[in-house]
Amino acid sequence: MRALVSSPEAAVLAREMGLEALGLARTDEEARRLAGHVGRVYVVRSGSVAEAIVTLYRDEGFALAVLPGTREARDAAAHAAQLIGAAFVPDAVNVALAGDKFRVERLVLGNKAVAVYEAHPPLLLTLGPGSRPVGEGSAGGEIRELSVGEDRRVRSLSVEEKPKGAVRLEDAEIIVSVGRGFKKKEDLQLAFHLAEVLGAQVGCSRPIAADLKWLPEEHWVGLSGKKVSPRLYLAVGISGQAQHIAGILNSKYIAAINSDPNAPIFQYVDFGIVDDLYKVLPLLAQRLKERLGRA
Amino acid sequence: MNVAVLVKLALDTGQLRLSQSAVGVEETPLKISDIDRNAVEEAVKLRGNAGKAVSISVLKWPPVGRRTQEAENLLREVLAMGVDEAYLVADEALAGSDHYMTAKAIAEVVRRIGADIVVAGEATVDGYTAQIPARVAAELGWPYLTYVRELRVEGGRAVARRDLEDRVLVVEADLPLVVSVTREINVPRIPTLLAIRAAMKKPIARLGLGDLGIGEAPRARLAELRPLMVSRRRLIVKEGTVEEKVDRFIDFLMEEGILRGT
Ligand SMILES: Cc1cc2nc3c(=O)[nH]c(=O)nc-3n(C[C@H](O)[C@H](O)[C@H](O)COP(=O)(O)OP(=O)(O)OC[C@H]3O[C@@H](n4cnc5c(N)ncnc54)[C@H](O)[C@@H]3O)c2cc1C
Ligand SMILES: Nc1ncnc2c1ncn2[C@@H]1O[C@H](COP(=O)(O)O)[C@@H](O)[C@H]1O
Repeated sequence: MRALVSSPEAAVLAREMGLEALGLARTDEEARRLAGHVGRVYVVRSGSVAEAIVTLYRDEGFALAVLPGTREARDAAAHAAQLIGAAFVPDAVNVALAGDKFRVERLVLGNKAVAVYEAHPPLLLTLGPGSRPVGEGSAGGEIRELSVGEDRRVRSLSVEEKPKGAVRLEDAEIIVSVGRGFKKKEDLQLAFHLAEVLGAQVGCSRPIAADLKWLPEEHWVGLSGKKVSPRLYLAVGISGQAQHIAGILNSKYIAAINSDPNAPIFQYVDFGIVDDLYKVLPLLAQRLKERLGRA
Repeated sequence: MNVAVLVKLALDTGQLRLSQSAVGVEETPLKISDIDRNAVEEAVKLRGNAGKAVSISVLKWPPVGRRTQEAENLLREVLAMGVDEAYLVADEALAGSDHYMTAKAIAEVVRRIGADIVVAGEATVDGYTAQIPARVAAELGWPYLTYVRELRVEGGRAVARRDLEDRVLVVEADLPLVVSVTREINVPRIPTLLAIRAAMKKPIARLGLGDLGIGEAPRARLAELRPLMVSRRRLIVKEGTVEEKVDRFIDFLMEEGILRGT
C-alpha cells in the first residue's frame, strides 16, 4: 500500500506504518527536500492541489495522504476527499493501521476530549502540532512534474501580505497574554513592560488581533490562532473561553489576572489574582524588578 | 437572490458534561455553532428584499429522537434572525457519521431548494475541522471561497477578501458559489421580540436520508470519545491588598522554580 506525503515527517510516519511513500510538493525546493525521503516526488507548481490529489489517487493509488496543515492545503484535502469518497481528519495527533482500517486520534470539543476515528482507506490527514522534526534523508528520489488545471471560475485580484514582526510565541518560555480587559490600545504598554521585566513574549486573545487589530495576528493564541507551550502563560484580562484555552493547554503553568472572580479562566489556572489589571500590572512589574534584583 | 446558509447545531463545549472516564454527549445541550450566526447574518443581508434565505442543518449528535425538539427550538432562533425557512436533516445513520455523509446530505438539500450561493461558517466550535464548505462545493461542482472576511455580490459574481495565515487574498468568483465566513465579517443581529414571534410561524422541514435518496455508508466512524483532563493547582487569591496578592504570586513563581531570583 502507498502513502502520499508532503513532508519528510509524513514520509517517516508512512514508512513506520509499512507504507511506501510517494511525494507531493508545491515548489522545487520542497520537492528536493522530499526526494531525500521518498522514491518519487510529484511537483505541482501551479493549479489546483485538489485536482492533483485526485489525479494521483486515480493514477498511482494511495491508502493514506498526509498533507500540510495550511488553510489552503486543508481546503484542497477536503475537496479531494469528497471527490474520491474519503474521510479527512485534520490535525491528527496519532495514526495507526489496525487490520484493514486506520485508527486516527484528534482533539475535539474545544480540546476537552480526544476523538478516535476508524476509517477505511483511502484516508486523508493533516498532522497536528507535536510531530517530530526529521533530518536530511538520503533516498535520492526521482522528481516528476505534474500539471493540473486551474479553476477559472475563481480569479485572484490582489494579495496583501500581513504585517510580520519578530514574535515567536511557539518558542517562548514565558508569555504574557492580553485580552479585552484592556480598555485602549495604549494600555497594552503595561503588558509589554511586564513582559520586558520577565523576558517574556506578548500574546493575545482573538478579539485583540482580529476585531480591534491592536496587535498583529502573530500574537493571536487559541483554537484558530497559535498553540503555545511555555513554562508560564499569564492571561491578563482574558475571560478564558474554550477557544482561547484550546491554544494554551500544553503550558507548564497557567496564571491569570482578572477582576471577575467568576471568569472561566480561573478554572484552568495554577495561580490566579482576582483584581483590576490596571492596579496589578504596574505593581507586579515593580516588585519583580526589586525581588529579581533587575534594574 | 436565493441563499442557503449552513447552520450546525453543535455540542455546547462550554457546558460539556465530563467525568474522569467519559464525555456525557447525550447530557450536553446543543447550541448554534458561534460562527454560523455570522453566516446567518451574511445570508440575510445577501438575500435582499427579493430573494429567499433557507437554513440547512444536519443533526450530528445523538440521541436523534430526543434532540429533534431541541434542534427545532434552536432553529427558531435562526428563523428569528431573518431566515425564511429551515431544513433539518435528522437521521440515526448520520449521528456520529463523518463529513462525507454530512456534505452529501447538505448538497442534496441545496439542489432541491435551488440556491445561488451557499454561506457557511469558517469552522464549528465542537469539531473545528473547516472541511464542510469545500466538500459541499465538490459535491455540487461549484467553486468555493473560504475564510471570507468581506464579501460583495453583484451581477452574478462575488468579490471577497479571504483571510489566510500570512496574507489576505482579494478574489473574484462566479456564482453559484460556496463561501465560508469568519467571525470578523459582521456582527450577528439579536432578534427583536417581533421577529421572535414571527419566527414561530415560519416553516421547519424535517428530512431523513431516505427522503434525500442517500444510501451510502460513512467512510469513518467515531469509535471512541474520551475526556482530556488537566488538573491545575487553582490557587486563586481574592482577598487582601494588591501588594499582598502580587507578592504571593511572585512567591509562587519562585517556589515552583518558574522564576529564579536572588
Ligand atoms: C470557532 C471559534 C474560534 C475561536 N478562536 C479563538 C482563538 O483562537 N483565540 C481566542 O482568544 N478566542 C477565540 N475565539 C473567541 C472566544 O470565544 C472569545 O470570544 C475570546 O477569547 C474572548 O476574548 P477575551 O477573553 O479577550 O474577551 P472577553 O471575553 O470580553 O473577556 C475580557 C475579560 O477581561 C476581564 N476584565 C475586564 N476589565 C478588567 C480589568 N480592569 N482588570 C482585569 N480584568 C478585567 C473581564 O472580567 C473578562 O473576563 C473563537 C471563537 C470561535 C467561535
Ligand atoms: N452538521 C452540519 N449541519 C449544517 N451545517 C454544517 C454542519 N457541519 C458543518 N456545517 C457548516 O460547515 C461549516 C464548517 O464546519 P466544519 O467543517 O464541520 O468545521 C460550519 O460553520 C457550518 O456552516
